[in-house]
Amino acid sequence: MKARFLGSLCSIIIVLTLAFPVCASAEDTIKIGAVQALSGTFKDIGERYLDGCVYAAQVINEQGGLLGKKVEVIPVDTEFNPDVATRKATKLILRDGVKFFYGGTGSTVGMAMKELATKHNLIFFTCDADSASMTGKDCSRNFFRPGGCTDNRSFAVAQQTVKQGYKKIAIIAQDYSMGREAVDGFKRKMAELDPEAKIVVELYHPAGNKDYAPYVSRIIAANPEVIFTPNWGNDLTLLLKQGRPMGMNQKILAYYINDEVSIAALANDDLMIGNTGTEIYNLDIPTEKNKEFVAKFYKDRGYYPTWLRGKSYMATMFWAEAVKKAGTTDVDAVIKAWEGLTYDGPAGLWTMRACDHQAQMPYWHSEVVKENKFFKHAFIKHVDMIPPEDVEVPCKETGCNMPK
Amino acid sequence: MKKQGNIFICMSGLILAGALMPVILSQYHLYILTEIIIFSLFAVSYNLLLGYAGLLSFGHALFFGLSGFATALAIIHFPGLTLLSTVLIGLAASIIAGFVIGALLLRHKGSYFALLTLAFSALFYAVAVKWYSVTGGDNGLNIVRPDLNLGFASISVSGLAHFYYLTLIVVGATIIFCWYFTQTAMGKTVLLMRDNEKRMQFLGYNTNFARLILFTFTGALAGLAGSFYALHFEFVSHMAVSINMTTVVLLMTFVGGTKKFWGPILGVFVYIIFQNYLSDLTDRWALIMGFIFVFMVLFVPGGLSEVIVKIQQRLFGKRNDNGVKYIASEEGNL
Repeated sequence: MKARFLGSLCSIIIVLTLAFPVCASAEDTIKIGAVQALSGTFKDIGERYLDGCVYAAQVINEQGGLLGKKVEVIPVDTEFNPDVATRKATKLILRDGVKFFYGGTGSTVGMAMKELATKHNLIFFTCDADSASMTGKDCSRNFFRPGGCTDNRSFAVAQQTVKQGYKKIAIIAQDYSMGREAVDGFKRKMAELDPEAKIVVELYHPAGNKDYAPYVSRIIAANPEVIFTPNWGNDLTLLLKQGRPMGMNQKILAYYINDEVSIAALANDDLMIGNTGTEIYNLDIPTEKNKEFVAKFYKDRGYYPTWLRGKSYMATMFWAEAVKKAGTTDVDAVIKAWEGLTYDGPAGLWTMRACDHQAQMPYWHSEVVKENKFFKHAFIKHVDMIPPEDVEVPCKETGCNMPK
Repeated sequence: MKKQGNIFICMSGLILAGALMPVILSQYHLYILTEIIIFSLFAVSYNLLLGYAGLLSFGHALFFGLSGFATALAIIHFPGLTLLSTVLIGLAASIIAGFVIGALLLRHKGSYFALLTLAFSALFYAVAVKWYSVTGGDNGLNIVRPDLNLGFASISVSGLAHFYYLTLIVVGATIIFCWYFTQTAMGKTVLLMRDNEKRMQFLGYNTNFARLILFTFTGALAGLAGSFYALHFEFVSHMAVSINMTTVVLLMTFVGGTKKFWGPILGVFVYIIFQNYLSDLTDRWALIMGFIFVFMVLFVPGGLSEVIVKIQQRLFGKRNDNGVKYIASEEGNL
């Protein structure tokens, strides 16, 4: 009887194993695996990033493709989890022969994807994961960041803080690599620009936190003049939604104040008006290329390429420029071609630095105002542009020892 | 004799099939198969607690993740170590943790035991997330598999096929050992303890000690699976010690069935294949897996293994080899 059972079990296992279909990868398209948080708390963020990437692929394909081939974007839901991201990406690598990956919302996912790309000698690029260490001490020849990084952003915010004369600053950030590195960069720059300025409270909360009351109480008790936060998505919305009624009335100096979904979700413009942000892409960047891009996108989609969509579009277009220059999809050739390459897009001139694979780009400072031409609710208004050289971290100070 | 011959033929068939997999399967499917073997050990170890000893643990991933972290840390901080040494370090960590936690829990059963394991799991999870300098926090730890040094030869297992063979041999042998354990006096003691602990105590058995041994043993098995998990993915993060990981193994075990030794292995097969195919089709695959779990608990509490047994009984009758009628659930485990 037992033998019969074992026989049945063996048959099932063997049949199940052999039932795996063997897939062949098609070579008529250039595939990008877009690893994004497409479910869970940050679903909305991931979907907007994905939208920008898909639109870029659409534009490339409408212009005849890349090296004569169509660009195909394969969405991968990371569930905001590095284990899941790498497992699903490995599937694309081994099964579909995908050589290019984009995305990595959340630096933890970005870090894991960077390591995966290095192991398999692929290219992973991001404008989502901002941790400076990814192009610093943990840099990789297989990783490119055509996007902002915490050091550059924090330097830009610190400059604005000093310019506006704030002396007592509260800090609240998400408790993971990006949040901590953002705060570290801000504190370093503040110490350099205004040693007299004081951090009165420094708080970290879990990413995806729901209850901000304990943190808000401590901020109010510290009585700061201004609050710096690199929070994004729901973590920014809920901080303001819960903090303002409790009496946290200080102005917010943020990274991502240009998130129209966060502003709309607050359903009270007064909670947002006057706050400022520093980003690599805003809808109202006053360049002709941006106006053209916004108009074309709006005509095609019926909505604006705000924030994440715009960044994602430009990052993907920059990658396409590198592939075009390489003239091949060979990974080593694309890496070589991308180093030192420039991309003149909607948000100004971007240059991919060879020493750390961190794009140098202008940052756009904006303030939330009531009246704007894009939305019925409050939205950002362009204030000024911070040139790349003002926020640049010199190659020798990044800590990156780029492997050859 | 005939029965033993059949078992031998079957085992030989399995070994041959396992050995041929790198030739038959694509790289991706070999990758999945390796994952299945590793999780099979994890699920078998969980079932020794749940199905055999009747102890519902919400902290089994604690040993899995702890061992994964210990292996990863050994690779990172002691670069000269061989692969098996790093696995042994992971195993040692899980044995120590199993013994210490088991000693604290051995007098508790039922919901108290379950809640205490949940508390320990939460403690380890918090440490994994917060002790950034050691565990890498949310970022986890990335590693590169070291070579397998056998003394007389050094074999690189950086390639998937080599690592698959290593996993098949080490993890496969451990699973077979687990089956052997269930046939031993100690294994039978565990079963009897589950069914009537008082009687076992009256017979002179120290059931607390037996439970401690079982808890440590299953922790070590989960630890071995955790080490191979870290080596397979070349990455380990706080997710490996999370309640999610315990939920996954619980789901695998329930889907396969707790009443047969091979039930959890079947559950792992089904779960991982379903997970991979469903996640291609929809982002809501976890919801579907949840429905399957609820369905299994409500309508097929014995899991897929019970379904197979019932089909087998329909086809071949309800008698065992001695011609005596029996009831599957009372027959116990294979």
